[in-house]
Amino acid sequence: MLRFIVRRLLSTVPIVLVVVSITWGLIRMAPGNFYTGERRLPPAVERNIREKYGLDRPWYVQYGRMLGNTVRGDFGNSLTYEGQPVNSILANAVPVSALLGALAYVLALIVGITAGTIAALKQNSRYDYASMAAALIGISLPNFVLGPALVAWLALTWYLLPPALWNGFSVNLILPAVTLSAVYMAYIARLTRAGMLEVLRSNYIRTARAKGLSERAVVMRHALRGGLLPVLSFSGPALAMLLAGTIVVERIFAVPGLGNYFINANLNRDEPLIIGIVAFVSIAVILMNLLVDIAYAVVDPRVRY
Amino acid sequence: MRSIRTSALLGGPKRTRPTCLGLLLLALGVSGCTTAASEGDYFGKVEPPAGQVLRYVTGGEPESLDPQVGTGQPEARIYVALYEGLTDYDPETGDVAPGLAERWEAADGNTLFTFHLREASWSDGRPITAHDFVYSLRRGLSPEFAADNAYMAFGILYAPGYNGSGSFARRPDGSFVMDPENPSIRFVVPGDEEERKRAVTPVIEAALKSTQPVPVRAEDVGIEAVNDRTVRIRTTLPIPYLPGLMAHQFFRVIPRQAIERHGDFWTQPRNIVVSGAFNLEAWKPYDRIVLVRNPKYWDAQRTRLERITFYAIQDATTMLNLYKAGEVDAIYNHTVPSSWYDYISPLKDYLNKPESAVEYYQFNVTHPPMDDVRVRKAFNHAVDKAALARLKKSSKVLTGFVPEGIFPGYPYPQGDPFDVKRARALLAEAGFRDGQGNYDPSKFPPGVEVLYNTAESNRVTAEFMQAQWRQNLGITIQLRNMEFRTFLGVRNRREYKGIARAGWVGDYMDPVTFLDLFSTPDGNNGTGWFTPEYAKMLSDANRIQDPAQRYEKLARAERYLLDAQPFIPLLTAGTNWLKKPYVQGMYANPFTIHPWKYVYIEHDRSRWN
Amino acid sequence: MAATTATQPTTEPVAGTSLWQDAWRRLQRNKLAVTGMVLVAIIVTASLAGPPIIERTTGYTYDYIPSEPELLKALPPFTGPDGSFSWEHPMGTDTSGRDLLARVLLGGRISLMVGLISTFVSLMIGLAYGATAGYLGGRVDEAMMRIVDVLYSIPYMMVVIVLLSLFGRNTPLGQLVLLFIALGAVSWLTMARIVRGQVISLKNQEFILAARATGVSTIGILARHLVPNTLGPVIVYATLTIPSVMLLEAFLSFLGLGVQAPYASWGSLAADGVQSIAIFPWQLLFPGTTMAITLFSMNFIGDGIRDALDPQMRKS
Repeated sequence: MLRFIVRRLLSTVPIVLVVVSITWGLIRMAPGNFYTGERRLPPAVERNIREKYGLDRPWYVQYGRMLGNTVRGDFGNSLTYEGQPVNSILANAVPVSALLGALAYVLALIVGITAGTIAALKQNSRYDYASMAAALIGISLPNFVLGPALVAWLALTWYLLPPALWNGFSVNLILPAVTLSAVYMAYIARLTRAGMLEVLRSNYIRTARAKGLSERAVVMRHALRGGLLPVLSFSGPALAMLLAGTIVVERIFAVPGLGNYFINANLNRDEPLIIGIVAFVSIAVILMNLLVDIAYAVVDPRVRY
Repeated sequence: MRSIRTSALLGGPKRTRPTCLGLLLLALGVSGCTTAASEGDYFGKVEPPAGQVLRYVTGGEPESLDPQVGTGQPEARIYVALYEGLTDYDPETGDVAPGLAERWEAADGNTLFTFHLREASWSDGRPITAHDFVYSLRRGLSPEFAADNAYMAFGILYAPGYNGSGSFARRPDGSFVMDPENPSIRFVVPGDEEERKRAVTPVIEAALKSTQPVPVRAEDVGIEAVNDRTVRIRTTLPIPYLPGLMAHQFFRVIPRQAIERHGDFWTQPRNIVVSGAFNLEAWKPYDRIVLVRNPKYWDAQRTRLERITFYAIQDATTMLNLYKAGEVDAIYNHTVPSSWYDYISPLKDYLNKPESAVEYYQFNVTHPPMDDVRVRKAFNHAVDKAALARLKKSSKVLTGFVPEGIFPGYPYPQGDPFDVKRARALLAEAGFRDGQGNYDPSKFPPGVEVLYNTAESNRVTAEFMQAQWRQNLGITIQLRNMEFRTFLGVRNRREYKGIARAGWVGDYMDPVTFLDLFSTPDGNNGTGWFTPEYAKMLSDANRIQDPAQRYEKLARAERYLLDAQPFIPLLTAGTNWLKKPYVQGMYANPFTIHPWKYVYIEHDRSRWN
Repeated sequence: MAATTATQPTTEPVAGTSLWQDAWRRLQRNKLAVTGMVLVAIIVTASLAGPPIIERTTGYTYDYIPSEPELLKALPPFTGPDGSFSWEHPMGTDTSGRDLLARVLLGGRISLMVGLISTFVSLMIGLAYGATAGYLGGRVDEAMMRIVDVLYSIPYMMVVIVLLSLFGRNTPLGQLVLLFIALGAVSWLTMARIVRGQVISLKNQEFILAARATGVSTIGILARHLVPNTLGPVIVYATLTIPSVMLLEAFLSFLGLGVQAPYASWGSLAADGVQSIAIFPWQLLFPGTTMAITLFSMNFIGDGIRDALDPQMRKS
């Protein structure tokens, strides 16, 4: 197990460098002057910038420098957000996106697992059909339709919640988190139901029931552990989806998170910020996948690394 | 390795009632109905915040909180809260009102102004003196500081010389060469090559023989502190509107003590010292700026707001949604999209008064085909501006350059009318014709573009203009857009091919603030058009004491400008913004700049307008 | 002893049945899947036939802007410019006065086309890659799958965004082509894994050995024997990929990176609609719900096909 973890951690570095290289390559290959986009700076300023970033050197030297900077974690200053170092932008944006994503996923887990478990226990009942129908709607309704619809209803007609902006841990969290979590709620509910159905049919559950354990004990103490395995393995690809979802949700609700900064950085050809965000997110995704794999091993003793 | 059991991923029930579809349609129907219902007289929720707190959207993130650095409107509104000037703006009309100067006199034919300061102190307790004003102006004009707004002070004696690193010419006997056009002041040899070539005529060249250059220093600039409480300003030419000009942020007094102590970081909340009605409490970049009431302000008993939060939001949808939900109390000008106009204009919290601002399309006259005045006039004749005003809804047609309805008594000259035949005839005259002498669009060179900064409203206008020229002249113009700061650089350096969108907001209440744009070839005149005659017409007009005669002369200058057609006048905007009825003391003045000490929250519903 | 075998009276010839026919029959019995197929058929027909019909009857196309200034505004559904009931615009108009129904149908064409083509692209790539890796096995297989693992950990969305932001902004058509490539490249990984798994379990079966013994080339084996037998899970996955690719395209178009003007997709229509959500909510709701219904139905179909082809997974 330990060797597995170490091996995975070591592979993080080359993978991140590959991703960063691809991104860097794309930015440099893009038509036009990658650095300033369509901007033309006064000659003195441009000279200074070229010197500072070594733009007059051959491309492989610049590439090497970029890699070196990435490894050191120094991404320079953003071009869009004048004078702000990329690292400080990351420091401000990461907690925001992390809070939003974590809240959304926790919400999805709580609601999804509960709904799915009850649906499995009450299989073929009206509740089962209703909740699985709702789940299918959740998967099919894009978050950029759900979000603004919620805003139009709850914020702009009934004035219950704020329609945008971010105030830390406050009511501003509710609409974005709900919007973001909807699709995961749906997937998790379906997966839980499927997983629980399979587990509930197995012998050891029959034994537990025969022993006279209460239904609640049967479910909570025995069935859940096995039934949640599909949910756990879903969490890996879910992270990738979460990324896409966060970008759109942050846009809709004007949340100052990584997604919004990333889009703006792309629109402004802000190379340092793009590379910084891509590097950070790659590392985060790899680490989270690792955590999911470890959790899977913890929960399912049959799995050995 | 874990396996992704795709089958497990796809689990689900076999049978579901189609009630889900029904639910969907129900939701659709309900939501469609509710928002169409009218909210009453106002747009959105009307619930005043507790206490005296204002939440305002001012526009994009300010460039800087240093009033001599920032040039945009968003920061202008913040500056007037933090810093006070010799004079201030009247909250309703934008006219001049007393600020730190309680009275002033003009003498010598509007070239010498004496301001008498009242007793006042900085937020750190130190008294504000005339020396602070002298320091502020010298710092703003210093060539190292290179302020973008320095041109605002160029009417002050030797200010352009100091800012441009110019020099006097001293003869061996110690006397200086005087300006032949203005013999009471010394001649300044400009520091910049181009300007020097223009300014040093052969006559002057001769006079400069055997002289020594003496650099213009800060002390030479025409501002002095006669004593602690008296500021005297001398101008090169008569500037009747100088007191009003002093209300502009560039001239507001800045704290020497903070700048000398903290350098570039003096505007940080922990370092800043202010002279205005509010002090800076917090500054979260790209999020919000929070100001709190400054108890040391000279007029502090009039200030009622305890706190103002300025949100840095540029996206129209976000701010309108926030406004509707009651999360902000007012938003800045030009924010209601024209497609919303029919819905919003009947509501009582919509404010659309004449604004001291114009929108026009300027030509790059340094490159063909726009270097030919006939081509320019043709393009102007070929646009139906009345249709554009109907499209943009909250604007009015502009045929001249000075916006109408702002300056009572000014005889506005009329520009050229919408005349497609004349346009085509002019183009034929300019050489784009076939064998018979008729206008032939295919002869017109390609590559002419309209450059504009990215905004929905600009795109709508650009597409309209493109359609007009295609329809009326048979010419297809390309459209190009870019982000604002990039755009500004490209436009001011005349790097665009043909036409660029431009807008101008008046800096002070006088027609000269518009006409002056073209009195120099540089700065914000990105057309490349410039004639000394025009500049002379303006300075001659300013010499006239009688206001009516002066206006007449200015109108003649404007006529001259319109005949040269370095731009296509399009529209004057209405102020076009929203304010909740419980916000009082905030008016739709021509500048959309609000002296914040007059603003307050009225909790008594019967007193709402 | 000569035994006489009694011949049974033959009333009907005994017809054989294949896996596909069995699956089709099961699918037809699945009411949800059938509903889904009907809905998708309706939407597809509407998207294809709708715009020309609308154009012929009312003259509205997806980019027709009326010239009268009073019509240059957003009208609610079934409302005329003066506020009275009117059949002109069943879905209302957008802020420039363009008929929303025509735009939603055009959006449907583009969204569906993008979904189908991108899925096809990813299908081809995934099939080829996975089949090759699975069949060749050994070192080659390990290397190829290692690449897939690495690619799996790349945050794809980010790279796609960078790609679309920087390139292809020049022409709407160029952007579209780029979109196909980008979206196709996103989903081939899982397809490759599925195909590889299937091929591995199939490659040691006798019919493959027989083919090899008779001298069929590797490519021949792959193309004629292996791939057709992997089609089951492949079809299931493909049917479920289409809606998820459509969703991805909608995301990108919503952010302004996907389909560009003058083309419209449901995602870009939603982006336009979100701007006026405070006062013209129908501009978002119609494209959004149409998209939701389409995805919904496609998911039903996908579920149904999965159940039909893979009865062991059925939970009854």
